[in-house]
Amino acid sequence: MMMKKNIHLEINGEIKDLTVDVNRTLLEVLREDLNLTGTKKGCNQGECGACTVLLDGKPVSSCSLLAVKADGKSIFTVEGLAPEGQLHPIQQTFNEKGAIQCGFCTPGMILVTKQLLDSNPSPDEQEIKEAISGNICRCTGYVQIIDAIKALSDVTKK
Amino acid sequence: MKEYKIVGKGLPRVDGPAKATGKAGYTVDVHLPGMLYGKILRSPYPHARIISIDTGEAEKLPGVKGIVTGKELHNVRYAFVDTPRYPADEQPLAVDRVRYIGDEVAVVAAESEAIAEKAVELIKVEYEILPPVFKAEEAMKEGAPLIHDEQLEGTSSWEQWGVAQKKKSGEAKSGANNISGHSRVSYGDVEQGFKEADYIREDVFDLKATAHCPMEPHAAVANFDAVSGTLHVWLSTQGIFLKRFFLSKTLKIPTAKIRVHHTYVGGAFGGKIDLFPYEYCAAYLAMKIKRPVKIELDREEVFMTTRQRHPMTITVKTGLKKDGAILAQDIRVIADNGGYRGSGPVVVFLCHGFSYPIYNIPNYRYEGFSVYTNNPIRGPQRGHGAPQIRFSLDSHIDLIARDLGLDPVEMMLKNVRVQGDVLPNGDVLNSCGLSECIEGAARAIGWKEKRRQFSTAEGDGRYRRGVGISVCSMFSGAMYYPFASSAVVKLHDDGSATLFTGAQDIGQGSYTTLSQVLAEELGICLEDVHVVAGDTDLCPIDLGSFLSGTALVTGSAVKMAAADARRQVLEGAAELLGVDDINELDTREKKIFARKEPERYVTFQQAIQTGVLRKGNPVIGIGYYKGYDKTDRYPSLAKGKGLFTGAYGFAAQAAEVEVDTWTGKVRLVKAVTFHDCGYPLNKTIVEGQIHGCASMGAGQALSEEIYLQKGQLFNPSFLTYRLPISTDTPESVEGIVASLEPSGPFGAKEVGEGSVAGILGAIANAVHDATGVRIKSLPITPDKLLPALLEVLV
Repeated sequence: MMMKKNIHLEINGEIKDLTVDVNRTLLEVLREDLNLTGTKKGCNQGECGACTVLLDGKPVSSCSLLAVKADGKSIFTVEGLAPEGQLHPIQQTFNEKGAIQCGFCTPGMILVTKQLLDSNPSPDEQEIKEAISGNICRCTGYVQIIDAIKALSDVTKK
Repeated sequence: MKEYKIVGKGLPRVDGPAKATGKAGYTVDVHLPGMLYGKILRSPYPHARIISIDTGEAEKLPGVKGIVTGKELHNVRYAFVDTPRYPADEQPLAVDRVRYIGDEVAVVAAESEAIAEKAVELIKVEYEILPPVFKAEEAMKEGAPLIHDEQLEGTSSWEQWGVAQKKKSGEAKSGANNISGHSRVSYGDVEQGFKEADYIREDVFDLKATAHCPMEPHAAVANFDAVSGTLHVWLSTQGIFLKRFFLSKTLKIPTAKIRVHHTYVGGAFGGKIDLFPYEYCAAYLAMKIKRPVKIELDREEVFMTTRQRHPMTITVKTGLKKDGAILAQDIRVIADNGGYRGSGPVVVFLCHGFSYPIYNIPNYRYEGFSVYTNNPIRGPQRGHGAPQIRFSLDSHIDLIARDLGLDPVEMMLKNVRVQGDVLPNGDVLNSCGLSECIEGAARAIGWKEKRRQFSTAEGDGRYRRGVGISVCSMFSGAMYYPFASSAVVKLHDDGSATLFTGAQDIGQGSYTTLSQVLAEELGICLEDVHVVAGDTDLCPIDLGSFLSGTALVTGSAVKMAAADARRQVLEGAAELLGVDDINELDTREKKIFARKEPERYVTFQQAIQTGVLRKGNPVIGIGYYKGYDKTDRYPSLAKGKGLFTGAYGFAAQAAEVEVDTWTGKVRLVKAVTFHDCGYPLNKTIVEGQIHGCASMGAGQALSEEIYLQKGQLFNPSFLTYRLPISTDTPESVEGIVASLEPSGPFGAKEVGEGSVAGILGAIANAVHDATGVRIKSLPITPDKLLPALLEVLV
């Protein structure tokens, strides 16, 4: 039998007490136990960024993190960005600028954008490119994603 | 360009909010109560005979609910190409022989993925290793191991529709010398053309396999309702009706007893149209065990077993007049399609299909072979032959221009086709903005200022820049099952509309562009349109989102359905407004008004209510359009005869590169695409397609390569298969050329596919411009470029 452990997570501001197999990843627990399927499994190898969540505010690949390692930490997923039925300005701008095509990389891409803008409200183009460099998008060629993030920066908004 | 109210605008995608919030459900997100998980045992050998399979230990494992091997499915055959000439050669699970590393041998369904994985490990297979062959040229030689020596009879999928080409007696047997497909086309007199030429040049080009890399891995969920005998499936696919047809044929149940349900598709790029063993197996297991079954491939399996782009060797010989006018061209293509036929006969036909719409060449000969090897299977990938043939032809044209001291742009403009041209197969270019594309791309890249012109590598520093250009074309739909697209527009009594379409939004934005077509034609707002799509029970037939036909073919069907609904609404309104002729009425923003007295109007709501009360008609509009309105059959792949597509999209692409002569690394500084898409139904979406194509092409030009050693894939991950990432993004310029295709809705035709092809040659030509070094093999990586640079520089 796989060993189980009790863990205590804050997910999108809500406290969750869970009992999980110690070999399960945070991605599996989010998707399978909590039905937070906005977090995607693209490669399960920590290479594509589709499974990105914010762990204590920092982007991590949830496919490469055991759920037990997230014990006591705060996790933020795409479902936490805006109240049901509303769009966060990042989500709104991504859609207006054509930054969304198939949508599979979108949740991860939006979360790294949130972390970037939280820590640096006026990123230049190079900083934007570097911030999203761990997130692969096969559809857009990144051009409209970069445009969307530029439009969200304080410099543009002023 | 005519201004419309809704089409042409860069409106936000209708599926954007669902995707941005993580609410959009993909096949990988489907979870059904009581669902089992399937895993596939795959061959570790490139070529072997299966002596025995022992599933005893695996069956004893608690939680295992079913194991199937090829013996149970020995009479099931299917393939992307399935004609009397080229009979289906694939089976869901190998019966007695495996033909590539990754070939499916057995499938397990279990209570969890972990148990299924464990069970797969417990299956014992005894193999007798057979001699393999990995190079197409060697596979074609006498005495090479025959990969398919089985006697197959053609039972064409198309015969029941009466469009099958009959195999003629005396024709070479498919599979002899490992040849899986053959195309031969000629017109004019090539030998005479070469005799009359002032100058002749021949080059050989070499292209490696590449991967599609959709971000969503391939997955299937199946559930069988034994009471009604209906199979329910959720598939990550580009074509729900084609998949249903394949499943019906292989599972031997009527099409109406299979329902493909809608899911969002996390990218496809041609790699989600074939029927795959995992899909068949999920369905078969669900029917056998009577529980839902999900099979999701891992990323390594996606790389290895869900098709790759065909590696090719392409030889081009061209004869010209001194002024650069092309007199004769002879092209020979050898494509490696791996262990099964895949789309081999199609791709060797398409290399011709994407060659001849561009240059007007009076004497032309083309011959292409697709060949079996013990490599992974190759299939359609965005462009499907266009990247390979356009890279070769336009690298070759650039070399000729250098030899003759001509400007490649002027040489292209001298030879390209123009609107009104009739292609040798009879296709008419009713819209062709090729020259405008070339001129626009040259201008945007700074051709005159930046081109070094016949530079040698002398006298420069470490980093050298250069520019290059190439052109490409792509069809806008063709005759392929189910041969047509249709649409239903249902109006609600508040005046809003639901569009029922079988087209799949695979990221290309079809739900949005089709909604715009509907709203524009009917006279309502975009937010008044609701889309029901991707469900074979709810939606009328559709070609599917491949062959680049959605804008023109499905778009035309939607426009017709909207016009049909509009006419019915106008009939109700005419009565209310006291107008005799509905042509005196117009619609806008859910209102119907008299053209002459726009202040007099009734709402859609009033008109629809009147229609219901008077005649019981709630207004349902119907539209349909053939894959190609001028023909009822697909062209002969072997001879290239027969009409092919109703409209060609065109593009010219230019690149500026910077070469680090110390390391041989190439950086794409600027990418320019001018695309003739007929008319941009949604400007933002069209631009997104162009950027996405250019990025994929740039990856294939500079870094992407499936690396195989004796049939073993060595780079099945995003760390080792190097896709473009954000920091590789060049300055990107797009130009939209609106040639207004007469058969397209509002003039629209292809945009999402052709532009993957031109950037390859543009980059190779730019590298030559920068350094004087010509690389005739893709990708252009430092291991190829650096030795060549050293030869020139030292």
